[in-house]
Amino acid sequence: MKLLTHNMLTSNIIKGVKNGYPLKISASDVQLIDVDFNPEFITRMIPKINWKVLHEAAQSLGHANDLPAELNAEYEADQEFLKKTHHVLLEVEVQEGDLICPETERKFPISHGIPNMLLKEEEI
Amino acid sequence: MTKAERRAFKKQMRSQHTLLRHENIISLLHQHLLIANGGLGNSVSRDMLEKVFKPCGSILDIVMVPGKPYSFVTFSDLSEAQSAVQSLQGTELPSSAASSEVPPVKLYLSFVKSVPGAEVASNILPAGLTLIQDFVSQEEEIELLKCIDWDYMDPQLKEDSKISLKHRRVKHFGFEFLYSTNNVDPDHPLDMGIPPECSPILQRMLSQQIILNLPDQLTVNQYQPGQGIPPHVDTHSAFEEELVSLSLGSQVVMDFKAPGGCHYPVFLPQRSLVVMRGESRYQLTHAIAPRKSDVVPLACLTKDNQMKLTLMARMERTSFTFRKVRNPPVCECDFPEQCDYQKLKKSNRPLTKPISTSPKELETEHVHQVYEEIATHFSDTRHTPWPRVAQFLNGLDPGSVVVDVGCGNGKYLGINPQLVMFGCDRSSGLTAISHERGHQVWVSDVLATPLRDGSVDAAICIAVIHHLSTQERRFQALVEMKRILRVGGKALIYVWARDQKRGNVASNYLKESSDLPRDEEIKSAVDAKDLKAELPTELSVHVNRTEFQQQDLLVPWKLKGKEEKQVFHRYYHVFEESELEELCQRMQDVEVNDVYYDQGNWCVIFTRIH
Repeated sequence: MKLLTHNMLTSNIIKGVKNGYPLKISASDVQLIDVDFNPEFITRMIPKINWKVLHEAAQSLGHANDLPAELNAEYEADQEFLKKTHHVLLEVEVQEGDLICPETERKFPISHGIPNMLLKEEEI
Repeated sequence: MTKAERRAFKKQMRSQHTLLRHENIISLLHQHLLIANGGLGNSVSRDMLEKVFKPCGSILDIVMVPGKPYSFVTFSDLSEAQSAVQSLQGTELPSSAASSEVPPVKLYLSFVKSVPGAEVASNILPAGLTLIQDFVSQEEEIELLKCIDWDYMDPQLKEDSKISLKHRRVKHFGFEFLYSTNNVDPDHPLDMGIPPECSPILQRMLSQQIILNLPDQLTVNQYQPGQGIPPHVDTHSAFEEELVSLSLGSQVVMDFKAPGGCHYPVFLPQRSLVVMRGESRYQLTHAIAPRKSDVVPLACLTKDNQMKLTLMARMERTSFTFRKVRNPPVCECDFPEQCDYQKLKKSNRPLTKPISTSPKELETEHVHQVYEEIATHFSDTRHTPWPRVAQFLNGLDPGSVVVDVGCGNGKYLGINPQLVMFGCDRSSGLTAISHERGHQVWVSDVLATPLRDGSVDAAICIAVIHHLSTQERRFQALVEMKRILRVGGKALIYVWARDQKRGNVASNYLKESSDLPRDEEIKSAVDAKDLKAELPTELSVHVNRTEFQQQDLLVPWKLKGKEEKQVFHRYYHVFEESELEELCQRMQDVEVNDVYYDQGNWCVIFTRIH
């Protein structure tokens, strides 16, 4: 699971959960993989993601490095910044661990890089 | 001539030509007049014409032709006919209740030599049908209509009945009629039996020997003017032979049609009881056309024996249909062509009891587990993206966030590298295949997609919703897709169509395309035997690469193992034309942009608009 995916996911499908966002990450295996850098793609993606959530997730995994906590208004021209964003969004992969609902502490296991978001019948 | 007169003359000439074409009559000076624009075909009634023509003289006859926008009036002599033409040419009909919604009707008159013999729907009843006029009194009618509480929703009701049917309101007593299977579940009666107010009526039917068995199921339908019910034969195995139906609140014409095409429009007066047996019950379809009025022979209304027609406006009509549930569901009628039971028996398909498991259990066993088992083989056969799905994805703005709900092996996730695409699927086996191919995926259910409200620019859901086993669940899946779309976001849905040969072009499924495995052969008899013991449902097993015989079925998937061939059965609900569109239209804040048929699927594109 990349942090891009984490940025999208919520546990609001559980009965009674309002936002369920962002999910906490508890990781036992994180791997770094190489992905080709495409500045155009990253630039287009930035407005679509929740920056604060990305930054906190990267921090919790110890991979935020010097990624700024706030978005700079002129990030489009900032190649270094785009590279850092590219790295945390696409190159940090949680292989094993759990996603945790912020409201109920319900755990969703991540196994072989794939989060399992299935609910039991009584949770829906 | 003034402009209006010229126009009137032109219209007069045109109507004469129409007459010549339709009836082969040439007009000269005669006592008969053609009344163009004044016919049953454009909602003009006999009463209205009588009022208009009476002042001109004594009318011998008015002949109205079904479905035609003209009629004929015959005066006792030529001079009266002439004076009618002079004084009434181009006259406007006074707007009455029936015509208030349309612009005023102008009548154009011309002389005709003779009047065509009126082709009359003489109220001949099809074999097996009995009609009893005034079966209930006005007081009983009021009492019966009062005893239906339309606002109360029985919590036991499973599915379709909770959503109001598009064409009418429906309530069930005794047993719920399930529209998804056109059947009842005889093992699960509703707590709410037939209302006690019906008892005296039912006792009367028994004592007069109109029926022989006391019904235990009641369906109440309420039709507004303009609403109808499509042609159908009540499922043979679901109900005993006798069907009785009371018409309350309004008269209506019910259309019975024989398989050979013979058509019997039957006039059901208000407070009458219609009894269907034999041919009319088992072989003929019955339907109510969605109209606001019916053409009715006058003889049905008066003792007058003359076969004249008139137009009757429909009012709100409530029908009480009483039936007895057949248990066990075994029908031995003389109409095997129309008999679900005998057809199934003949084709050696399993038929034991109706589905006793819950929808979830059915889907777990016949969808989720099957996909886990066949994931790899399934994935190997699913490599060619459908062009119109690819076209949808390629048409989205670069950078759009898109989710593929039920992504399978992820064959659409990499189609357009300009998109930020995610996939999810119920099957962890298939999800793993997508993940290996480098796609971002998770495991989730189509009814609970773990994304925030309004968080995606587009969503696709290809060949997924037909695996849900009730209409309510299929609807919920669509609502869930709408929920995650942003306002202005678009969704593309594909579901398998029942009709696999649209416009005489067989779909790839029937043609056996290269996208499907070669070893999936037609071996139905074997499949059916395999299943009989272990599947306690009334789902039939589909014969691969043939047309679908029913909407809910099990489709075999053959897997060649190392030692033996295994057969898995996937549950499908195949969609009728416009069924998917209608489900989409039921959602609030949704605009349906496109509906099309592609590769044996019904497809809809909708936009979330609020």
